[in-house]
Amino acid sequence: MTDAYFDDENFKDGFDDDSFNTGMDLHLWRKLLSYALHYRKEVIILATCAFFTAVAEIAFPLITKGVIDTVAADGLDADLSQYAALYGAFTLLLGLSISGFIWYGGKIRTHVAHDIRMDGFCNLQRLSFSYYDFRPVGWLMARMTSDCERLSNILAWGMLDLVWGCTMMLGIAIAMLFMDLTLGLIVLSVLPVLAWVSLNFQHRILYSARIVRKTNSRITGTYNESIMGVQTSKAFVKEAENLKKFGGLTDQMHSASVINLVQAALYLPLVLTLGSVAIGLTLVFGGLEVVWGTITAGTLVAFLTYARHFFEPIEQLAHWFAEMQMAQASAERIMSLVMAEPEIKDSKEVIEAMKQDKTAYAAIDGHVDQINRITFEDVSFSYDVGDPVLNNIDLDIHQGETLAIVGSTGGGKSTLVSLLCRFYEPTTGRISIDGVDYRNRSLHWLQSNLGIVLQSSHIFGGSIIDNIRYGNLNATDEDIFHASKRSGAHAFIEALEDGYQTSVGEGGSKLSAGQKQLISFARAILADPKILIMDEATSSIDTETEQQIQQGMDALLSGRIAVVIAHRLSTIRNADRILVIEHGKITEQGSHEELMVIQGRYYKLYIQQSLSEFVDEENYWRS
Amino acid sequence: MTEEVVNDRKKARLLWTHTEGYRGVFGMAIFTMAIAYVFMFGAPLLAAFSIDAIRAGAEFSPAPSTILIAQFFSGDDIPGMMAYLALAAAGTILLTAIAGGFLYLRGRYIAFASEGIVRRLRDRLFDHIEHLPSTFHDTADTGDLVQRCTSDMETIRVFLSGQVIEISRAFLMLIVVLPILFTLDTRMAWLSLTTLPLLIIAAIFFFQRVKKIFEAVDKAEAELTTVIQENLTGIRVVRAFARQEFETEKFAVKNKAFRDHNNRLIGLMGIYYGFSDIVCLGQIGLLLIVGGLWVMDATLTVGTLFAFLTYEGMIIWPIRHMGRVLTDSGKAIVSIGRLAEILSEPIESQNEVAPSNRLKGRITFRDVSFAYANPRILNNLSFTVEPGETLALLGPPGSGKSTIAQLLLRLYDYHNGSICLDDHELNTLNRKYVRSQISIVLQEPFLYSNTIEGNLKIGRLDATFEEIKQAAVDACIFDSIEKFPQGFDSQVGERGVTLSGGQRQRIALARALLKAPPILILDDALSAVDTDTESQILRALKNRRHHQTTIIVAHRLSTVMHADKILMLHDGEVIQRGNHESLSKVEGVYQRLCAIQGAIQDQIQHDIAEVRDHD
Repeated sequence: MTDAYFDDENFKDGFDDDSFNTGMDLHLWRKLLSYALHYRKEVIILATCAFFTAVAEIAFPLITKGVIDTVAADGLDADLSQYAALYGAFTLLLGLSISGFIWYGGKIRTHVAHDIRMDGFCNLQRLSFSYYDFRPVGWLMARMTSDCERLSNILAWGMLDLVWGCTMMLGIAIAMLFMDLTLGLIVLSVLPVLAWVSLNFQHRILYSARIVRKTNSRITGTYNESIMGVQTSKAFVKEAENLKKFGGLTDQMHSASVINLVQAALYLPLVLTLGSVAIGLTLVFGGLEVVWGTITAGTLVAFLTYARHFFEPIEQLAHWFAEMQMAQASAERIMSLVMAEPEIKDSKEVIEAMKQDKTAYAAIDGHVDQINRITFEDVSFSYDVGDPVLNNIDLDIHQGETLAIVGSTGGGKSTLVSLLCRFYEPTTGRISIDGVDYRNRSLHWLQSNLGIVLQSSHIFGGSIIDNIRYGNLNATDEDIFHASKRSGAHAFIEALEDGYQTSVGEGGSKLSAGQKQLISFARAILADPKILIMDEATSSIDTETEQQIQQGMDALLSGRIAVVIAHRLSTIRNADRILVIEHGKITEQGSHEELMVIQGRYYKLYIQQSLSEFVDEENYWRS
Repeated sequence: MTEEVVNDRKKARLLWTHTEGYRGVFGMAIFTMAIAYVFMFGAPLLAAFSIDAIRAGAEFSPAPSTILIAQFFSGDDIPGMMAYLALAAAGTILLTAIAGGFLYLRGRYIAFASEGIVRRLRDRLFDHIEHLPSTFHDTADTGDLVQRCTSDMETIRVFLSGQVIEISRAFLMLIVVLPILFTLDTRMAWLSLTTLPLLIIAAIFFFQRVKKIFEAVDKAEAELTTVIQENLTGIRVVRAFARQEFETEKFAVKNKAFRDHNNRLIGLMGIYYGFSDIVCLGQIGLLLIVGGLWVMDATLTVGTLFAFLTYEGMIIWPIRHMGRVLTDSGKAIVSIGRLAEILSEPIESQNEVAPSNRLKGRITFRDVSFAYANPRILNNLSFTVEPGETLALLGPPGSGKSTIAQLLLRLYDYHNGSICLDDHELNTLNRKYVRSQISIVLQEPFLYSNTIEGNLKIGRLDATFEEIKQAAVDACIFDSIEKFPQGFDSQVGERGVTLSGGQRQRIALARALLKAPPILILDDALSAVDTDTESQILRALKNRRHHQTTIIVAHRLSTVMHADKILMLHDGEVIQRGNHESLSKVEGVYQRLCAIQGAIQDQIQHDIAEVRDHD
């Protein structure tokens, strides 16, 4: 509903959150793993640390065994100093390894998250608008934030636990089997049962956690709706009923969470009890062996300790394995974002041309760095699905001309402009710049010659001066003042307490709609583009501001190709040429006078528009 | 949000009052956990006993009670070593299984208690927010409110189900294990406690520093999110100025900052865990070596040494973990504070009288002045509308038209002058009663993410489908609804049909009509509806006229000209009043409006209608 909240769980994007039922896509994980393997040195150190940690943990029971056996054998003459030294050494080794693996595991995790995010962001800057059309900002945000964190977490700590767990279990198994084959095998016999139980439970626990997450996201949605619609709920006295519905939801949440927690509560005792079976088996058989004299008491103590530690990694390994299955959809989503290919990009020829040396007056792609004429030849366009939005458009636009486009909503005005900007490319037909098909020119060159002023002017958080400078990063402060004077923004900016340094708040929330519009004019004037595109706003501007804006508009439109989706009468009248677009076709074109004479569609639109503007003005009358 | 600082006592009280009814469950959880640890700590004693028994070999002389038990289970008069070992093993498994059972019970209790408390808090918060006055909602940031209701709630949930238990666990373990240790061997018991103070000091020291870094990480994350969000919402501007590289650099700085802050956190964590591991293992090593020496001079048995080593391993790690637990608990306290801020905001008054009868619909304003802040919106405004009459309000934006509607609904309280509904002073009437007597349709109506039928039923829950249909017909939306693939069952919102502004307005009108209250307010509610449809709607409203008093706020002459009374407002004052006939004869604003709109009205309306038909 709003930007404040996006419901990932309930948004249908074609990725299946339940795909863990179908098993794991190893190919996908290998690709992700390559992000981690990029840090080869760190991975090796990490593995080494995990290895040493496991080794140290295996060593301690052996030292204990040594101490006990020495004491038992030598009595008062025993010398424990070498064991003390050994113990101290392994303690230090373990401490350092633990630090090391937290450091390097953490480093890999944060770097991988950083890199995936970076790749994602860069790709988002390349992708065509068609990519954005079907994905809400909230969807993209979820990929760039929580998904990145989740996957890097799995990659770093999952990998770490894998190395540590395997080394440790393998080491303990070897140590046990080496000390006493039979006893070792007896302890190990519990392993398959425990592994099976663990895997099963972790899967269930993560699954019920997913239900909790889903319900939680519905709760968030309901909170959001209740706050957005609070006035309506009050007006219809729906508070009690809303609460009842919400109560139903929190009841669901309650039972889902309790199930999740109880599953976890059941798992731990099961593991403990199974572990105690191993200890019990060791006690009986180990004890007998001590009595028979085949092993020493120290060995028995070591076995008892091993039996307790042996199963610790299983819980972790099972957890990560299940987590990987659960995170499959996240992984697919983010990789789809990172690897998506932009539909519109420079052709091979253009890229080749851009590598060549240029003559003095050439643009980066080797062609002339000028735009004198833009031609649409039989251009049609349709989005992926659905009927054509534009049909057989022929159009010529010349340097210095201001073109106003009018027509009803959904008629194709915006699409025409998007094609001109090469945000989309024609489905059939061609658009050329000074005779060269624009698909044979550099995308960057064209778009850096564009200036766009949108209906809802987007203002970035930060200061006013930074927002204007966005038009030309190399502009001096003088240039900026000049541009804002021409746009008519200077007066109000100077009147602000901090002038040009005033912080505008997130999304420019501290400015009025009219002020934002003026700043975006200044930004565009500063950019001094060869082509100016403008989607004119009708509402949210009072008569006084309207007059200020007029001045800025004139400054902005003159001396370049200007295409305006026009609403204001003044703009329409002053345009060099007016284009009426209906149902994807140009139905009329000419100057204001020419079109009024034929009394067609334009005439009607104009009368309609003049009426509503008239009424609006009347509403601002001074008594 | 309130500026007033919610102090710690208040926070604690907030959480405490919501634990009502669950305190016993928490108590049971801690009790079962204590029992579980008693059993769990019994197991190493059995192992210790077995080790000593084996080492003693032939000289093994168990206590008489032990012999009795062994005799009972083995059936032998003189039980062999095997019998004792098997008993010890069975005992170990049994003790652990019983302990496991109690741990499971603990988990259940905790689940019910923590989830129950959180459910109660969630409901309470939801109810509270719905009853907060409009003055609160005007200034509150939706995103921030939602964040508090969800993320902060989650922090509290984790605190209740996790940290409360972690803290009690550490204490319980000490309480249960210390007597055992001191009974087994006093010297060893003291020895096993030597490094605990060091461990506690280290935990406090590190986690105080970690807290600061946590804050820095959170801040860096927020900045990173803002950069991505701004880039994505402004992507068209970015492309238009070809600023991809600039944006990427800006992003890269924040991305790197977030990574580096995280790395600082990890650096500190690495040091802490490395260091505390050395302390913990050093402690165990100390027990091993010194204990070994005592075993040599035969003042300690190997079994007891083994028991000490096992116990130490059981208690020392949870204590090391305390630092982390306390840091997280600190976060929970901050979250409780953030919820307490919302809950301590006063809600709308609720206790006024609610008459049982339906209002007739007379509205009287006498010298009403009102201001949200400065300047005044209404200035000594007076007028009367009789039951069944239609009043039209005209005036430029900011002249106070919508304020009149909001005051009538008691969304805001007036303090100067008097407003009466029938003969009741509005301030003395229950808000919910007042609202149940008034329907309002706004220019930008809010529809719930529900089906269309569900949205209409908001007007009256027990309405029959026939009544719903009739309301839709009167609001001229029936045909549009029928055209949707799922008709009245179509979902409204992101996943459903996309409605135009005019359709939304008409659905809102239909739901208001369904409510059929004595007073109907249309606050510029037909602005996005074309004139033909509008006149149809007005005709339908006219037929209902004897049922309800209607207030219409509008710009179009065609909307207001048939009203019984017309008020021209400017700066919160009435500058002209009368009806169409009287006002159009007097020189003034209304006449000018008529001149502009009236003269060419018919011709142009005709043209426009034709244009629209063409669409």
